[in-house]
Amino acid sequence: MKPVGPARRSSRRLGVLLAVLGLALTGCFSTSGGDGGDGRLRVGLSFPPTSGLSPYGNEATLATRLGVTEPLVVLTGGTPTPALATAWTQVSPTSWRFTLRSGVTFHDGTPLNPEAVAGSLTRAAAATPTPRALASLAATGPALTAVPDGAGGVLVTTPAPDPVLPQRLASPELVILAPSAYADPSRPSPVRAGTGPFVLTRVDGSTGATLDANPSSWRGPVGAPGIDARFLADGAARANALRAGELDVAEAIPASQVASIAPPQRVSGVPLPRSVAVYLDQRSPVLADPGVRAAVRTALAPVDVAGAIYEGRADPAAGLFGPATPWAAARPPHPVTPPAPVAGQRLRLATYSDRAELPEIAAADADALRRAGFTVDVTVLESSAFEAQLGTGAFDAVIISRSQQLDTGDPVGYLASDFSCAGSYNQARYCDPATDAILAAAAATSDVEARRRAALAVEARVLAADAVVPHVTERARVGLGAGVTGVVEDPNEQFLVTAATHRG
Amino acid sequence: MTTARRLLPLLTAGVAVVVLALVVAALPWLWDDDPAAAVLRVRYPERGFSAAALDALRAELDLPADPVAGALGWLGGVLTGDLGVSWVSRAPVAPSVLAALGVSLTLALAAAVVAAVTATALLAPGVWRAAHRGAPAGRGSAVAASVLGAVPEIVLGAVLVAVVAVAWGLLPSTGFAGPSYLVLPALALGLPAGGLLARMLSSATESALAEPWVRTWRSWGTPPATVSLGVARRAVATAVPQVALLVVGLLGSAVAVEQLFGIPGIGSLALDAVLAQDLPLAQAAVTVLVLLGLVLGGVGVLAHRALLGPARSGAEVSVGVPDTSGRARSWAPWAAAGVLALVVVTGLPRAPSTTVTERRLAPPSWSVPLGADALGRDLWARVAHGALLTVGTAVAVTVVCVVVGLAVGVGARSARAGVADVLNAVPPIVVGLVVAAIAGPGLLGAAIAVAAVGWVPLAVHARTLATEARASGYVRAAVLVGAAPGRIAGRHVVPAVVGPVVRHGLARVPHAALGIAALSFLGLGAPPDSPEWGAVLADSLAYVDRAPWTIAAPALGLALLAVVVALVRETRTSS
Repeated sequence: MKPVGPARRSSRRLGVLLAVLGLALTGCFSTSGGDGGDGRLRVGLSFPPTSGLSPYGNEATLATRLGVTEPLVVLTGGTPTPALATAWTQVSPTSWRFTLRSGVTFHDGTPLNPEAVAGSLTRAAAATPTPRALASLAATGPALTAVPDGAGGVLVTTPAPDPVLPQRLASPELVILAPSAYADPSRPSPVRAGTGPFVLTRVDGSTGATLDANPSSWRGPVGAPGIDARFLADGAARANALRAGELDVAEAIPASQVASIAPPQRVSGVPLPRSVAVYLDQRSPVLADPGVRAAVRTALAPVDVAGAIYEGRADPAAGLFGPATPWAAARPPHPVTPPAPVAGQRLRLATYSDRAELPEIAAADADALRRAGFTVDVTVLESSAFEAQLGTGAFDAVIISRSQQLDTGDPVGYLASDFSCAGSYNQARYCDPATDAILAAAAATSDVEARRRAALAVEARVLAADAVVPHVTERARVGLGAGVTGVVEDPNEQFLVTAATHRG
Repeated sequence: MTTARRLLPLLTAGVAVVVLALVVAALPWLWDDDPAAAVLRVRYPERGFSAAALDALRAELDLPADPVAGALGWLGGVLTGDLGVSWVSRAPVAPSVLAALGVSLTLALAAAVVAAVTATALLAPGVWRAAHRGAPAGRGSAVAASVLGAVPEIVLGAVLVAVVAVAWGLLPSTGFAGPSYLVLPALALGLPAGGLLARMLSSATESALAEPWVRTWRSWGTPPATVSLGVARRAVATAVPQVALLVVGLLGSAVAVEQLFGIPGIGSLALDAVLAQDLPLAQAAVTVLVLLGLVLGGVGVLAHRALLGPARSGAEVSVGVPDTSGRARSWAPWAAAGVLALVVVTGLPRAPSTTVTERRLAPPSWSVPLGADALGRDLWARVAHGALLTVGTAVAVTVVCVVVGLAVGVGARSARAGVADVLNAVPPIVVGLVVAAIAGPGLLGAAIAVAAVGWVPLAVHARTLATEARASGYVRAAVLVGAAPGRIAGRHVVPAVVGPVVRHGLARVPHAALGIAALSFLGLGAPPDSPEWGAVLADSLAYVDRAPWTIAAPALGLALLAVVVALVRETRTSS
C-alpha cells in the first residue's frame, strides 16, 4: 500500500462519506402514491400484478375493479345486463348477435366498432390458457368465433349450443380493448386502451398504477378526477393505511383488522359467493372410509368459525352456497353418514397463509380433531407452494377459500370444476358418475331454475359423501375512508371503483 | 503481494455467482415441480390446468432441460449484459431488479445510520465514564443493548405503525414515495440492529479501554474527550466490517418489514421470484445481492485497515485483555433467569393448545395471567411450552455458528471478502427455501437455514479480531522467534478472539430465535400450531394493537432470554 498523507486520506474518506450520504438522501423512491388533496381516489388493492393488468389471467379483475376495462355485458344478480352491448339475441342454437352501444370511444380516441369487438373476443378465445369463462367450450378448437355483423353488431358463434354465452361474456377476461392494446398478443395492455370511466395511464410494475378520469365516458361525468392505485399484498398494511387516512378504498381487509377500524372509516360487507371449507380427500388412505369422513365432519361441527375467527364478518355455512345465492336456501335435506369410532388416525391437514383467517381456522380445526381422537399434522404454506402440492395426495384434508362464480355467475361451472371426475380444481378428488350425469345435464339447459336445482342436487350429494365440510361463506370486507361514496358492493368482485365513486 | 492473490477475490466472486446461479436453477428439480406449472399458478391462481396449457407455456418460455443448462444459459446472457426476461411477466429483468435494489439500498443505509446512532448512544456514557475515571464501562448498557437486539423487527414495525402512523398520524404508514416514508421502516430495522451492534462494540471498547495506551494517556492528563475519541476509533475500526455486513444483510433480509410497510424492496422481489419459480428474476436478484455484498464486504475490510492506520503496518497494536477482576455482579440477569424459570415451571402444567372460543383475545386475568390469543389459547402455557423448544433450538444454532465462525475467522489467511460475504448477502429466506426444498419444511430445516447464514457475522468478527491480534507486538515477536503458525494461532490469536466472539454469539441467541421466527411466517419453521415463540409471534402479529398482550408474551420471553444471555457472559468473564 502506498503511503498516503493524512490530509489526502481524510479528504478521500470525506468523499466516500458524502457519496454514501448523498445516495441515502436522494434515495430511490417509488413514485406511486398521492396525498389525495385534489380529490383523486387512493385505492389499495390486494394483489400485485405481474403482467401489467393484462386481461388474460387473474389481473383482469384489477382493471375492471379500477373502472378501466368493460365487458359487453355485466351480471346483475346473476342476470346479464347491458354494458358495451345494449341488446343480444340468440339467432341460432350456436350463435348470438350482440348489438353494440353507439358513440363509445376507447381511451386512445378510436371508436368502439364491430371490428374492434370481434378482434378482442377472437384474440381472447385463442389465448393460452383459454379464459376460464370459455374453458368448457374449448374442447374442440377455438371456444368461439366473433365476426362483425352489420353496422353495430357482432355475431358470436360457439362450437356447440351454449345457453349461457351472454353470462360468459361478462367475464373480466373478455373485456373489449382498443386494437392498440394488442402490440404483444400474448399479453395485451389496457394502458389507454379501455372504455371505462378511468383511463389507465401508467403501471409501476407491481407497486402501483396511475389513472385519470375519462372525460368522454359513455356513462356520463366521472366523480373523481383520477385514481392513485397501490398494490399492497399485506392485509395489515392495507388496514393501517386506511386507518391512517392514506387510502380511500382498501380491498380485502383481514377479518382480524375490521374491529380496529372505527368511524369515519368503515368496512362494507356484502355477502360473496365464496365458501371456506375443508375438502376431504376421498382417495386418502385415512379418509377413503366414509365413516371416518363423517367423524371428521362431526368433530368439526362445534368449531365456530364465523363467530370466533371472522368475528361475525362471515356467514355460517349450511352448505356450499350462502346468502349471496339466496336461491340456495331452498336446499333439500341430504342423507347423513353416521360417524365411525376414531382411534388415533393420523390426518395431514393443510392450508395456505395468503388469507390471514385460514391458518387460524387450521389451528382451531386441528384442536377440534385432536379432541375427537385424531392425530393431526398441520401444514401452512404460501399459496403457490400450496397449490403445487394440491391433488398430489400430500394432504388428507385442505382448507380452501373458493369463489363459486368463476366469472359466469353460474353455479354449474363451479361445481363441474370442483366436484366432477375430470374437474380441474377437484381438491376432494371426488368422483361420482351420478354427480357427473347431473352436471352434464345441467350444462346443456338454458333454464336458470333447472341449473340451480341441479346445483343444489349436486351440493346435497357432495355433502352426503362428506367430500367437503363447509365452514362459512365469506363477505366482502372493503374498507372505505372518510366521506367516500359510490363504491360498488359487487358480489362477483368484478367492480369496485366506478364513475359514481368520489370523496367528500 | 502476488497477482494470484490479488485475483482471488474476483475468483471467489465468480465461483459464488456460478454456484448460486446453479442452485437457483436447480430449485424446480429440488422441489420436483414444473416451472411452467408454477408460472401458471401465479398468473392464474385457483384454476388447475390442462396439459395443453402447460405445453404451450413450456414452448413459450423455452424452459431449460436441466439445471446446468439453465444456469449456463442464463450466465451466458449475463456476460453479454442481458439479465434475461422474467418468466412470469415476460418483461426484462434488469430494470425491476435495479429499481428494487435502489429501494433496498436506501432503506438499508438509513437503517444502518439508525443502528450506528443507537449503538453510539448506548455505549457513549460507559466509554466516557471509563475514560474519565478509569472505571470499567457499565454493565447496564450491555443489558439494554441485549434487550434491544432481541426485539423482533416486525413487532417493532407493527408497533411503530400502530402508534406513530395510525394513532398520531405523524408519518405515513405504507409506501415509499419520499424521505418521510423511510423513517419508520428504518427505525424498525435499525434499532434492533443497533442493539446487536452495541453488544458487539461493547467488547471492542472494553478491550480498547484495557489497552496500555489508554492508561498512558490518562496518566498524562489527556482530556477524557480525547481518550474517548481514541477508544471510539479503535472500537469503530473493529465494528466497520460489521456495519458493512449489516447493510448487506439488511438488503435481502428485510422481507417481513418490506411487506408490512408496502416497500418494493429486493428481498420481497427475490422471495416472490423464488416462490413463483421465476428463475431468471430470482437468479438476477440473488446475483446482484451477492456482488453488492462482496463489494461492501471488501469496503468494510478496507475501511478497517484504513482506521487501524499506521498501527497495522507497524507493530503497535497491542490487543488489550479486559481486566475482569473486582466487577460488581449485576442482579438483573439473575432476576431475568428467575422470572423465565418461574414462568416456564408454572406454565408447563397448563394446556398450550386447547382453543376456547369464549376467551378469544382475552386480556390478562387470574385465569389467563398472560392473556389469551386469537383462538383463546392460554399464552402463559404457550410461552412456557415453547420456551424449551425455542431456547434449545436457538442455543444449538448459536453454538454451531460460534464454532464455525471461529474456525473460519481465525483460519482465514487474509482479511479479504470471501464465502462469508457471499452467504451474508443471500436473503436468509431464500436460503430457508432452498434448505426446505432439500430437508423438507420444519424446525430442523429452519434451524439449518439460520445456522447456514448465522455464522457469517461471527466469522467476520473473528477475522477482524484475528487480523488485529496478528498485528500486535507479541505476535510479531513470536513470529520473529520462529514460532509455528499453529502455535501462534493457538496461544496468541485464539485467546484474543474467542472471548469477544463468544459474547457476540451469545448476544445473537435471541437473534437466532428471531431468524427461525421469520421462517415460521412462511410456513418454513415450526408447525403453525406449535408453541414455538416464533410461531406464536406469527400467529398474533395481526392483533398487535387490539390485543398487545398476545405479542407481549413471546416478546417478553425473548427479552428475558436476552438478559439471561448477559448473565452467561458475566459468569464466563468473571470465572
